[in-house]
Amino acid sequence: MLNRLGYWLRETFASLRRNLTLTVAAVLTAAVSLLLLGVALLARQGVGNQLVQWKGGVQFIVFMKADASEDQIQSVRTALAESPQVDDGKTVYLDKPAAYQEFQRIFRDQKTIAESLTVNDIPPNFKVVPMTDDSDIIQAVGNQLLTKPGVIEVRFARDYVDRLQALSRMVGVVSIAMFVVLLFTAVVLIWNTIRTAMFARRREIEVMKLVGATNWFIRIPFMLEGLLHGLAGGLLAVAGLYGVNFLWKERVIPKIPDLAALQVSSSQFNLVVVLVLVVGMLVGAVGSAVAASRFLDV
Amino acid sequence: MIKLDNVTKVYSTEVVAVRDASFDIPKSEFVFLVGPSGSGKSTLLRLLNKQEQPERGTIWVAGRSINDLAASKVPYLRRNIGNIFQDYKLLPNKTAFENVAFALEVIGRPKHVIRQQVPAVLELVGLAGKQDRFPHQLSGGEQQRVSIARAFVNRPLILLADEPTGNLDPQTSEGIMRLLDRINKTGTTVVMATHDQRIVNMMRRRVIQLDRGTIVRDQARGVYE
Repeated sequence: MLNRLGYWLRETFASLRRNLTLTVAAVLTAAVSLLLLGVALLARQGVGNQLVQWKGGVQFIVFMKADASEDQIQSVRTALAESPQVDDGKTVYLDKPAAYQEFQRIFRDQKTIAESLTVNDIPPNFKVVPMTDDSDIIQAVGNQLLTKPGVIEVRFARDYVDRLQALSRMVGVVSIAMFVVLLFTAVVLIWNTIRTAMFARRREIEVMKLVGATNWFIRIPFMLEGLLHGLAGGLLAVAGLYGVNFLWKERVIPKIPDLAALQVSSSQFNLVVVLVLVVGMLVGAVGSAVAASRFLDV
Repeated sequence: MIKLDNVTKVYSTEVVAVRDASFDIPKSEFVFLVGPSGSGKSTLLRLLNKQEQPERGTIWVAGRSINDLAASKVPYLRRNIGNIFQDYKLLPNKTAFENVAFALEVIGRPKHVIRQQVPAVLELVGLAGKQDRFPHQLSGGEQQRVSIARAFVNRPLILLADEPTGNLDPQTSEGIMRLLDRINKTGTTVVMATHDQRIVNMMRRRVIQLDRGTIVRDQARGVYE
C-alpha cells in the first residue's frame, strides 16, 4: 500500500510539473471562481449580522435616552399599546440588560467597541412591528413617537433594511453568476489538463493496461492531480478572502460607522473558508475523475 | 488453456476480421498463427486478452469463459497473460530494470519482490549487466529481450507474441526464438503470430493458418507452407 501511495504521489507531481502552464491556468481560474463564491457567502453573512436587530418584521425601533425615566418608558409603551397601527403581541421592549446583550452580540468581534460601553450607556428600545405595510402610516406612527419625552431616535427599517438587502441581493446574484461561469471554465481547464496529462502518458497507460493494472490504479494519479488543482485554487481563494476581509474590517468599516455590524465573526469566516476549500477539491476531483474515466476507456 | 468456439469478430459491416474460428490449445503448447497481413492474426491475439470483444462465439482462457468477464476483472485476466510486440512497447525514459519493474509496480507488487524478481528475469533473458541501460542504448534484439522479461516477470500462464521478430535480422530472431522456446519449456503456453517463414519452418511446431479471417489449416509440427 505504501508502495502504491509512493507511485501515485510521484506520478501526480511529475504530471503537475510537466503541464505547468495548463496547471497554472486551471488553478488561477478555480481560485478566482472560488474567491467570488467566498465573497458572496461572506456578504450574505455580514448583511445577516447587520440585520440582527431587524428580525421578525420589525419596521422601526424607538430608542429611548440611556437615562430615560421609568415614567417616560411607560408612556411610550402605553402609546404603542393604544395605537391601532401597532401589533402589540409582536412588539418587543428591550430593557437595558437585554439591549446590552444584543449590542454585545452585534459587536462581538470588535472588542474595543463592545467593551467601551457598559449596561448603563445603552439605550433601552422598542422594536415595533406594525399592523400595516404602508410605509406612510409607519412613518407617521414613528414620527409621532419621536415627540415623546425620553425618545432619542426612531430608526426606520425602510431606509435601511431595504437598501441593505437590495445591495446584498445584487452582490449575491452577480458574484454567484460569475462564480458559476468561472467554475465551469475551471472545470473545462482541469478536464483539458487531465486529457493532456493522459495523452503525454499514453504509452505508460497502454503498458499498464496490458500488464493488468486496474483502472482505478491508473486513474488515481490523475484524480489526485485534479484534486490538487482544486485545493490550490481553494487555498489561493482563501488567501484572497483573508485580504478582502481584512481590508473591509480595517480600512472600510472604520470610515463608515453605520456599517459597523456589517461583518462576519471569525467562526462564520472559518465556515466559509472550509466551504470554499471543499467545493474546490470536490470540483477538481470529480472533474478529473470523469475526464480520466472517459479517456481511459475510449 | 485456450479454447475458441466459432468465434467471429467483425470490425465493420464489410470487414470480417475473424470468421467462425475454433481451436483448442492445451497447456504448454507452442502455436504459430500464420497468414498474410490483414488475415486476422493480431485480432485473434487481441481477442484472447480481451482488448477486443467477439461478435459471436465463446472464448475460454484457463478454463473460464471470458466473454462475460466484467470490465473490473479484465486486469486480473491480463496478469495471467504476457504480451510482446513487434515494436517492443518499452517506455523510453525508463531503464531496462525500470521497464520490467514497472509491470510489477503497477499491479501492486511490493518492493522487495521487485528487487528480487527483476534481476532474475533479466538474467534469464540474457541481459544481466545491462539492466541500467535505456532502450535507445540497446540493440533491437536486446530491446525485445527486455520486453519478453517484462511479459514473463509475473510468470504468466500464457504468452502472446505479435510478430516478435518482425524488426529483427535472422540471427537475432533465432536468439529470440530460443528464448521463447525456453520460456515455453517452463510450462507457459505460447501463441505467436508471425509471417517469418524461416522461423516457422525451423521450429516445427503447431501451425494455425489464417486467410481473410478464416482458419484454413491447423497442423501439428507444421511448416509455413
